[in-house]
Order: sequence, then C-alpha cells, then structure tokens
Amino acid sequence: MSIAGSLDDPSQEAAAGPRLPVSRRTVLGAAVAGGAGIAAVRVLVYPRVEELLHGASAVTGGRGDWISPLGAEKARVAHLLRRTTFGASLADFERAAGDGFSKTVDRLLETPPAAPPPVPGTDPATGRGPNVAQLQLWWVDHMLSSATPFAERMTLFWHGHFTSDYRKVGAQFPFILWQNLTWRDMALADLRSMLMRVTIDPAMLRYLDLATSTGQAPNENYSRELLELFSLGVGHYSEDDVRAAARALAGWVEPRPTGTVDVTVDAKNNVVQRRPAFDHPATGTFVPNRAYRGGPVTFLGKQDTYDAQKVVDRILAQPATAAFIARKVVQHFVSSRVDESYIARLADTFRSSRYDVKTLMRAVLTSPEFTADQSYRALVKSPTEFMVHALRALDAPQLSRLAVQAGPGMGQGLFDPPDVGGWPNNEAWISSNSIVARVNFVGAVLGQLKSLPSGADAPRHVDAVLGPATARLLDQAADDHARWYLALASPEFQLK
Amino acid sequence: MSEEIGINQLERRDFLRAGLVFGAGAAGLAAGYAAVPDAFARAVYAAKTNGVHNDRVLVMIQLAGGNDGLRTVIPLQDPKLHDLRPQLAAMSVGQALPITADFGLNQGLKGVKALWDLGKVAIVEGVGYPNPTFSHFESIRIWETGDPTRRQVDGWLGRTLARAYDSFGHPLSGCACGATDVPGALRDLQATLTVIENQKTFGFKGTGELEAAVGALYKGTPGVYGALFDTAMATARESIATLRTSEATYQPKAQYSDQARLVYSSKNQLAAALQLAAELITTGTGVKLLHVTLGGFDTHYTELSRHDDLMGYLDSAVGAFYQDLAAHGVADKVLIATWSEFGRRPRENASAGTDHGAAAPLILIGDPVKGGIYGKTPSLTDLDSTGNLKYQVDFRAVYQEILGGHLGADPREILGGAFDKLGFIRDPAGSF
Repeated sequence: MSIAGSLDDPSQEAAAGPRLPVSRRTVLGAAVAGGAGIAAVRVLVYPRVEELLHGASAVTGGRGDWISPLGAEKARVAHLLRRTTFGASLADFERAAGDGFSKTVDRLLETPPAAPPPVPGTDPATGRGPNVAQLQLWWVDHMLSSATPFAERMTLFWHGHFTSDYRKVGAQFPFILWQNLTWRDMALADLRSMLMRVTIDPAMLRYLDLATSTGQAPNENYSRELLELFSLGVGHYSEDDVRAAARALAGWVEPRPTGTVDVTVDAKNNVVQRRPAFDHPATGTFVPNRAYRGGPVTFLGKQDTYDAQKVVDRILAQPATAAFIARKVVQHFVSSRVDESYIARLADTFRSSRYDVKTLMRAVLTSPEFTADQSYRALVKSPTEFMVHALRALDAPQLSRLAVQAGPGMGQGLFDPPDVGGWPNNEAWISSNSIVARVNFVGAVLGQLKSLPSGADAPRHVDAVLGPATARLLDQAADDHARWYLALASPEFQLK
Repeated sequence: MSEEIGINQLERRDFLRAGLVFGAGAAGLAAGYAAVPDAFARAVYAAKTNGVHNDRVLVMIQLAGGNDGLRTVIPLQDPKLHDLRPQLAAMSVGQALPITADFGLNQGLKGVKALWDLGKVAIVEGVGYPNPTFSHFESIRIWETGDPTRRQVDGWLGRTLARAYDSFGHPLSGCACGATDVPGALRDLQATLTVIENQKTFGFKGTGELEAAVGALYKGTPGVYGALFDTAMATARESIATLRTSEATYQPKAQYSDQARLVYSSKNQLAAALQLAAELITTGTGVKLLHVTLGGFDTHYTELSRHDDLMGYLDSAVGAFYQDLAAHGVADKVLIATWSEFGRRPRENASAGTDHGAAAPLILIGDPVKGGIYGKTPSLTDLDSTGNLKYQVDFRAVYQEILGGHLGADPREILGGAFDKLGFIRDPAGSF
C-alpha cells in the first residue's frame, strides 16, 4: 500500500497542505474521489476555539460537531442502516434510498428474522453444544451473511442486556446457544414475556445461580440483577425487595433431559456417546419443594404470595421499568446523551403498548431525535459492529475468523461479556489499547485480500462527511488499498 | 483567539485542553448509573509546582466481583463462623495458614504468608464505608471515585495523576495493564494514561508509513468523541515508542504463569499484566500508578474450590511480581494493594456460596509496608440490618495513607477530607 504525501516525517504531517481556515461552516469542497451514492462531499474543519471553550452546552451538542447531512433523505436512510444493520452494500443502500426512510423502517421491523444455520459441531436438540470458538464464528458468519442484519443487531443488544457468559454456563451444553436463539426469536417481543423467559432460561438459571437457590436459603444473585440490571435499575428497589424476590423466585432448576441420544463424536473410529436429549428449546423446571413456603411476602410495596410471573408483573407495574429499558435502547441506537423528556415520552409509549418492544423500536427510529443533527455520529460502534461492518464493506465474509480473534483485544468477545452488566458502550470503547487493535484489524483484513471492491465506494461508508485529516489523507491515497485502509481505520468509521 | 488560527497550528496541549469541554457534561453519569460516564476526554497538564518528585510506585490489584474477606483473612477462633457457614467454615479454618493466634490466611496465599513472615504484609481489617450498596456497579464506582456520596465522577488515581504528576508527554505515568478500556479508578479528564491489554499485540502492525498515516488520521477529529479518539491515538503512539525500548532491556527475574486452575473465572491474565507492570517499573519508563484486575470473585455458588483457586492464582502472580521487583532492586519503591467492591455475606446460601456483603479486609504488600494487622475486626455477632459486617475503617483512610504516606501526594486535596491514620507505611514520604 502506498499513501502519497509528506508523511515520511510524521512531525511534518500537520504542516502539509494549505492552512485550514477555522470557521465553523466552511466546506472545503470535493477533496475526496468517489462518493458514490451521495452527491456532495462534505468536509469539516475544526470550529473556532472560542466556540469550543465557551460552548459548554455539551449536552445539546453544536460546537465542534460534524456537519450533519441528515437534512437529506438519503443521508437519513444511510444513518438508519448504519444504526440498525452493519452497513449496507451499494445495492442495498440504493434500494432502501428508493424506498425512503419510513418504508425502510417498516421493512426492518416487519421482516421476520432469517433463521441462522445449524452450528457446526452441535445439534440443538441434543445435549451436545459447540465449543465457544465455533459458536462465535457461527454468529459472526451469520451477521455477515444474514438477509436480516437488524435481527442480529437486536440479538446483540439483548445479548448484552440479558447477558450470560460461556465461561460459567459452559459451551459444551447447548444452553448458551439456546439463549442466543431465544433473543433472536424474541428480539421484538413484549417485555413481559422476555422477563419471564429470561428467568427460566437454562443458561441464565446457571449463570446467575437461580437453579441452585432454595426458598429456605435463597441465592440472591438472579433476584438482584433482575431488578438492578434487567428491569428497574438501581435506586428503584430496596434490599428487602431483593430478598423478597429471591424467595419468590426460588424453585426453578435447569431443564431435565427428556431422554438420551446417541451422538457420533468420532466418525472414523465409530465412537458414539450417549448424551442427554432435551426438548428444544427447553426452559427450566419448577420444583415445588425447593420453593419458598413461608407465606406472603412484601415485594415492591405489595404483599402477596408471589411466584415468578407475579414478580415480573409487579416489576412491570413500576414506571421505572419502561424508562430504564427505553434509556438503554436510546444509548444504543440514538445518542449517549440522554434527554430525560425524550426518555419519558418513549417510556410512556412503551408502557401503554403493554411493553411491546417493536412498538418501542418504531417510536425510537421514527422519533425526530433519531435523525436530529445532534444524534449524527453520537455513538461509537462496538467492536463487533465495527468489524462486521468493515468485512461487509469489503465483501470479505471469508475473513470472519479475524473478527472472532480480534474481538477480545478490543473488549468484546461474543458470549463472553466482562460481567453481568454486559458490555459498556460509547466512550468505553475508546482507549489507547482499543484504537491500536481496531487499526490493526483493518490492516490484517486488507493484508489477506487479493482483490478489493472499488475504493470509490469507501467514502460512502463514512457518509463522505470527513474531518480535515481524513479528507486530506484520502485525497492523497494512491490506490484502492490505501483508500479502504484510511476509510475503515478513520475515526469517522468508528462512529455510528 | 484569531479566526485564522488553523488546527494545524494548535498545540496538541491546547487542543486537548479544549477537549475538556466535551467531558464537562458528565450528565450521563448523574442521570443514573446505567449511563456510562460521559466523554471523559483525557487531556492536558499543568505544571505541578507542588507535585510529587520521588520514585515511588503504586500497583492496585482489583479483585472484581466482591472478594470474600472471611475466606481471605480467616477468623480462626470464632465459633459463630461455623454457625453462619456450615458448608464453608470448617474447610476454610482447618486449612488456613495461621499468622496470629486469631487469624489465618487462605490456604492459597502461601507466598503472601512468606512475605508476612518477613514483615512485608499489612492487613487492614473491617474496611468499608457508610450505608453500603450491594450493587457491584455502584460499589465499584464508590471505590473507584473514592466518594460514597456518588457525586465525584473522576477516579481517585486519575485525580492523583492529574493533580500530583506531570504526565504530559509521559503517557505511561498511569497505566492499566491487562485491560481493554480505562478503569474507573484511573479515569480523569486531565490525566494522560495508557491502557495495554496485551503487550505482544500492543503495537502497529505494518510499516512506519502506515503508522504515520493512522497517526495523522487522528488529528483534529471533530465531534464529542474527537478529543478522546485523538488522545487515545497520540497516547498509544507515544507509549508504543517507549515500550520498544523497555521491552528490549527488560529481563524477567521470576517465573510468571497464567496456567492457573480455575473452575470458572475471568479472562484476566493477571500474571502477564503484573509482568508488564514489572517491565514498566524496572526499565525506568516513569510509571507511577498502575492498575490490574482479577475477576471471578462473585462467588454465589460452590465457593470453596473456586475461591481457593483464585487465591492461589493471585498469590502466585503477586509472588512472582514481588520476586521480580526484588531481584531488580526496586522492591523498596513499590506498594501493592488489593481492593474489592465489597466482601461477602457472613451467612452462606443454598448454593454453597455467599451473596453480596459489605466490610472486608484489604491487603497491602511490599517493602514500604510495616507488617501487621490494622483496623478493627467486625463482629460476627453484631451484624447490620442486612446481615452484613459493620465497617470499622473507611476505605478512604487506606487511600489517604497510600497517597500521603507512600506516594507523598496531598491526600486531602484528592480525597476532599481527612480520615483516621492507620500507620501501615514504614517510612512515610510526607506528613498528612
């Protein structure tokens, strides 16, 4: 690869080219070749320093920001696809742009998820699960090839919310795989069903220890995280509520095998193992004599004889739940800067729809806030979003293993969240460590590709809205290899 | 400032200072813990006229998940422990390594016991804070910020870095080893610091031209994350350059191993992280404040073997680290301290594990330490209303001693108050 220009001496790089006048709305013009799909190339320069220093209204944005292209319908469609899929091919983008924004929202929400293929090395109906590397590769492959990438984005969102990790659950059982299949199936379902399902999900029963809890000596792990991380959020329940729910939820254990199945583990030597078989997808089993038998308890201010469903319903009777979920969705899909009146509006819609997630997502995607200028590039791509988008842009699904290998070094191994809180977002994805890992990923991918899509398509993946450094370097790029490298390694591409 | 001043002419320092504005709105954090802290552009420095001018180093080891204090420093004589923990107590007590008539260390802490015998281990009993939260995330934040009122946003180590050290141009002054992102304890708008997950992969793959190109890509980036991106890249490039030198000169003088037997635990490579810390310390990179993490301490189930394994792993990694530092002749400069967001419930649960607790002992290791037991042991017969141990020592008293006694920084400025003195530093660097 060759990048022309005066980069031999890095200390000189800033001095290259003409001085950039610092005025907020100056557009330098078409510095970038290509830009297919979007007519004008928009190049930003840095705003006045005074504006920066006095523009303390960081929450409303406005100073030093990218010039938002979202006034244009096509740019809004590109924005929508970037946030709900893993970036679009030129053909997919043109089709969506032809349909327009609202029809594209409908299509995203109404198209049923494409079912992923079976996981190599496993049979969901049997007790045999894949190893974690197979499982990670399987999911990344599906993210790369699926005709319904929105379903994968939603599954990834719920994987980080109702999270479990393979280390504790064990990938040799199908439980962690089932959980993935469950969140894909239920990604746009209603929260009541989801909260009941996560409570008796086999992987979750193991991950947060509900399966080993009893009414006599409750294990509080699941109860606490159900309230703190899955539904209400901290500050909306008491320690007594944690204890009451722990009692009420005790009694659920892991699913029992419905029989056995003979699995050929070594075809060459005809080695067959007998393994437990489950009805798929299995859920936990309730064992009454492990449950709490102490009579009514008070939970969230109401005395009752609770079971799991009543616990869930009591949680849903609290206004805090809808706001908590809406806030998390907004931080993932709209902006890291949360406007409380916006959250309240979405929460009202969510709650009055009987917690229908599809209704919530429609309200989010069609809200003025979603396409407001302040929301433009207001989120940082997670490592998985970044890598899958890069591989899709380069039409290189065969390199999925590179994404599986590089994820942990950027802070995101699938099926392996850092803790029960799932993955952090936005700012937390940016560190000296992760920026190096991201740039190296782009280099590794490009290093393995013998042919590349036309570099003229590269700026489309960053909306052709470029900071001065990226614009200048892209302009100097000598070949497609360099164009793709700069576009995908740029700060612009790390944002969504 | 003139409108004609181009970004090209802006000093990096000025740009970074400007970046502060982005971080000013920590509103996300105030809105609730679910909000990850707002853009905390790391930035700038100011000349530290009253800053620290010594060669002392601090290594904080986070035991993430809530370490069970009652299985770390074990009360040997208290019959109540057996009532509360019929499944856990007998094995813990029976296999403990006695250090006094009343206390034994977890059987896995053999190396720590050897250092105790040499007077290089201080144990502070009953460490906690008022009105404890049992949320991992809230309590981690309280320990990281040093603020039980939850108003502070920056980390206590980040504030120390920003206020007491001239870290500009020295991105390795603060370093998180073995992490992918900035730990909350090191987070501060004005602190320059480095995060290195794995030293082997921390470097740009490709030609120098390529590295120069990506360096040039991350200059003057607009948007709320712009300063964060640009400082991350600039810091990475400076650190990588420094590490090339240190890597070439460092020879480990101890056996580090991450081949630990762990039933279910974290991905953390604690030994590798501490080996990197040793490299940074022994090769004169100017590193001052280091942070490493070992996860897996949230032992709600089958705690006995899992916790023993974690203790053994911690012990082996810390043992190698201390040995390496001693062999390089720098052990007298380095204080190692553990911390965890809380201890665990005295009463065990049905899963042969323990739920979230409150007060717990904190262990400090190294030549700067005056060995012994400090603080006061909470009573197992006088638990609080949640059935947890009552704290006896505010965790900020420990921070105060680390800052003032070991590092020679001004703890009052960093912690915003004064706390009881403990006296576990052998030769205090300053008065506080």
